[in-house]
Amino acid sequence: MAHAFRALLGMGILLTSGVALANPPDTYGFGSRETAMGNAASAETRGFAANYYNPAALVRSRGLELSISYFRADHHLEMNGRDNAVDPVKGINGGLVVPGRLFGVPLAFGLAVHLPDDRISRVRALRQEQPRWELYDNRNQRLFLAANLAVELFPWLQVGAGLSFLSSTRGQLNISGSANVLQPDDSQLRHEVDADLTAIRYPHAGIRVVLSEDVAIAAVYRGEFQLGLDLGAHLSGDIAGLTTALYDLETHSVNNFLPQQAVLGASWQLAKNVRGTFDATWVNWSAYVPPVAQLDVLLDIPPPSGGWPATISPPQTPAPTRIVPLRMHDRVIPHFGAEWRAIATRRIDGFVRGGYEYSKTPIQPQTGLTNYVDRDRHTLSLGLGVTARGLTRVLPASLSLDLHAALSHLVEETTRKASAADFVGDYTARGRIVNLGLTLTLAFDGWDKPTGDP
Amino acid sequence: VLSPGAMRVARGLARRGAAVAGAFAAVLGATSASASPEDLLGYGARTSAMGATGTAHATGYEAAWHNPALASGVRAPKLTLGYTGGVLRLDAHGEGLPGRTSSAPVTGTTIGAEVPVPLGGRLAHRVGIALAFYSPTDVVVRGRVLYPEKTQFPMLDNRAQSVTIRAALGADIGYGIRLGVGFAALAEVVGTVVAATDATGRVGTRVEDQLVATYAPMLGATYDLPLRGPARWRVGATYRGTLDARFAIVIDGTKLSSLQIPLFNISGLAQYDPAQLAVEVARRDDLNVLALQVVYKHWSAFPGVLEPTVVCTEGGAGACGLTPPKIDWNNTFVVRIGADQGFELRRGAVLHARGGGFFETTPLPSELPGSDAYDRGTKSVGAVPTRYFDSERIALTAGTGLSLSKPLPPIDLDLFAQYHILLPRTVTSVDSSGAVLSKGESSGHMAVFGMTAGVRF
Repeated sequence: MAHAFRALLGMGILLTSGVALANPPDTYGFGSRETAMGNAASAETRGFAANYYNPAALVRSRGLELSISYFRADHHLEMNGRDNAVDPVKGINGGLVVPGRLFGVPLAFGLAVHLPDDRISRVRALRQEQPRWELYDNRNQRLFLAANLAVELFPWLQVGAGLSFLSSTRGQLNISGSANVLQPDDSQLRHEVDADLTAIRYPHAGIRVVLSEDVAIAAVYRGEFQLGLDLGAHLSGDIAGLTTALYDLETHSVNNFLPQQAVLGASWQLAKNVRGTFDATWVNWSAYVPPVAQLDVLLDIPPPSGGWPATISPPQTPAPTRIVPLRMHDRVIPHFGAEWRAIATRRIDGFVRGGYEYSKTPIQPQTGLTNYVDRDRHTLSLGLGVTARGLTRVLPASLSLDLHAALSHLVEETTRKASAADFVGDYTARGRIVNLGLTLTLAFDGWDKPTGDP
Repeated sequence: VLSPGAMRVARGLARRGAAVAGAFAAVLGATSASASPEDLLGYGARTSAMGATGTAHATGYEAAWHNPALASGVRAPKLTLGYTGGVLRLDAHGEGLPGRTSSAPVTGTTIGAEVPVPLGGRLAHRVGIALAFYSPTDVVVRGRVLYPEKTQFPMLDNRAQSVTIRAALGADIGYGIRLGVGFAALAEVVGTVVAATDATGRVGTRVEDQLVATYAPMLGATYDLPLRGPARWRVGATYRGTLDARFAIVIDGTKLSSLQIPLFNISGLAQYDPAQLAVEVARRDDLNVLALQVVYKHWSAFPGVLEPTVVCTEGGAGACGLTPPKIDWNNTFVVRIGADQGFELRRGAVLHARGGGFFETTPLPSELPGSDAYDRGTKSVGAVPTRYFDSERIALTAGTGLSLSKPLPPIDLDLFAQYHILLPRTVTSVDSSGAVLSKGESSGHMAVFGMTAGVRF
């Protein structure tokens, strides 16, 4: 019974549950402990951060855990020496882990959210010629929400998964009436909207294997998603009583794209109080779809009964946009992390953490019409943490405060255009990103009881 | 023959059309709003079978909708998954009316979570958290704001097509009193679209839309009446704040040329739940529950779904041009009754039989003003009928449940079914002189079922 249950539970975990919206943590990390360790956390994460790094590790929690965090990442990205005023990414991270046992088998449910200060998400559509920091300008201005289940099938094997959930848009907009372009306030117009946000689901899953008391390895998969935008618009009416106008538009675009990722990671106990971690993240950037719309347009403004005057060209349907494909390359991003338990007492632990990651830009040189700007990124991170236990009788829990600081350096490089007549011309781009944050965690984990978990 | 001025107008409009239409992506992508299907049908298989009562007797994750104070009763972590399905048959009969209207079926998944907060000392076993989610199967949100002359049931048709996110924290403060707070979260959209001509003469568009979170507060309290006898009597009250979600996008094409066109205000209210107060008394015994609930809903504050399209030079939207019909919505009342009888099959296994019903009045007046629209035939503004329909609603509910505990697996299974009857009702639309523009009778029914499975761990 128990073995059958374990097998069914393992399959069920891989097939069910989970809600997730987009991934700002890819760039800025999730939770101060893991961010300080260079995001090298798939084999070492625990608590609410495991919802992102490896859902299998949720089951490492031994009691209810509540976490709340705040971080701010400021971008100082410039082209030709001028700051491009890329908005900061800032907001609250939070989550919980609810562990328990079913038929004697440990399992856990986790929920995590990144809620930006200013908005849930932002859509920003620019012309493809306009220079923009493609990976930083707008992609990270959105909510992240994840829910997962995890089970410890055996003491050495933990499995977790979620079914992520997003929405695309399809809809129709109609405007009708009379437009008075001589006296705009006299226009008699109405509109109606019929739109659906349709559900998109994609999987993410993880596994963690405890090889010994000192070593654990992990593998994580995060699925790809595309936010589609399929829209129609219909305008019909009079132009100031002079003629009529009909405008039909159908557009299809991918509004946001997150490539699939696979992570392999490991965690070593290097010394009694020192742990080292490593992750290698493969990102399928070559499947990237840029956010440029495909348009089908019909414009009909009939001429007056006497025809168009010879000196006037009748209005034409606007020429369709020629989309220049964006080519990107798959990348493997190495992450390195370390944690030193500098203070180790029964009631107080103190930690010092550090990490490094290198992300080579996936975007090929922008020598043509488009200007999707990116540069190789080196990120160095540091952090401190303290955990206190047994503070009061009504709070039989561990209270942890973790801080992180990460500095990303985007290497200076000059983009040279193939055409000397290019409208934008050559430009030199570089930058840095400063990421600061802290996390407060309350763990009802039976702190005075050893877990034996490496 | 058009004058050169008129031709400039025509060409300018064509160019603007391209830019403005390219901006519609942002507008429609922005039509993201939600409401609560729980306000329409109830939430949770147990209480949905009991006439959607629960302000004084809900348990676990269902407390996130019914009464946050009852989250204090959570004693063990529990995760619940469920499915809800249903059909709407909404009829509008009369001259020029379609009869049966088209309504999408109700299908969705329910996720509920409940967690005790394991504080110690005097706070032990007194605080709990409840989380409630519902996601329609096909859509996350349906935003439909139609021309008023199209036949529609704005109170019913789309309100079940929306995601639900609710959270509650409850505390037992002793003396039979429980208090709780919670919130519901939705998203609304604000944004701008600017179409302009650049230095090279090409038309470009800049789109910036933002999804912004909106929240509605929820407060709850219960009191265990100090009555003698085997049964326990409890009174519960819940206040839910207004939950609304607009989309508001302004399209600016005034920088395309020297010709003037108005700002387009593509705005509306996609979903709306009124502020409401629910009061319930419940009698509980070891194996049975009987509840009676009254709900007041403040629909008279409902601003309507439509907004003016033209932003006027002075006074903003609505100060000129066409304005949507102004409807005097009525506040409504709901009376609900529910019962649950348990049968202990063996140690650790209880079978439940549940039933109930409710009656809800309609906020829609029986006489509606007409709507203004431009008539291309006469090239003037005339009145068109406002074809909104709704009816008083009677719902009959039933369900069953199986609750297992030690020595059996800690699992709860619940089923429910609801049958809603829309009582026949005549709705007329009249113009400013009182002439009838449209007259029709609304009726119909809705059938909804659902099941949940929960496991404590």
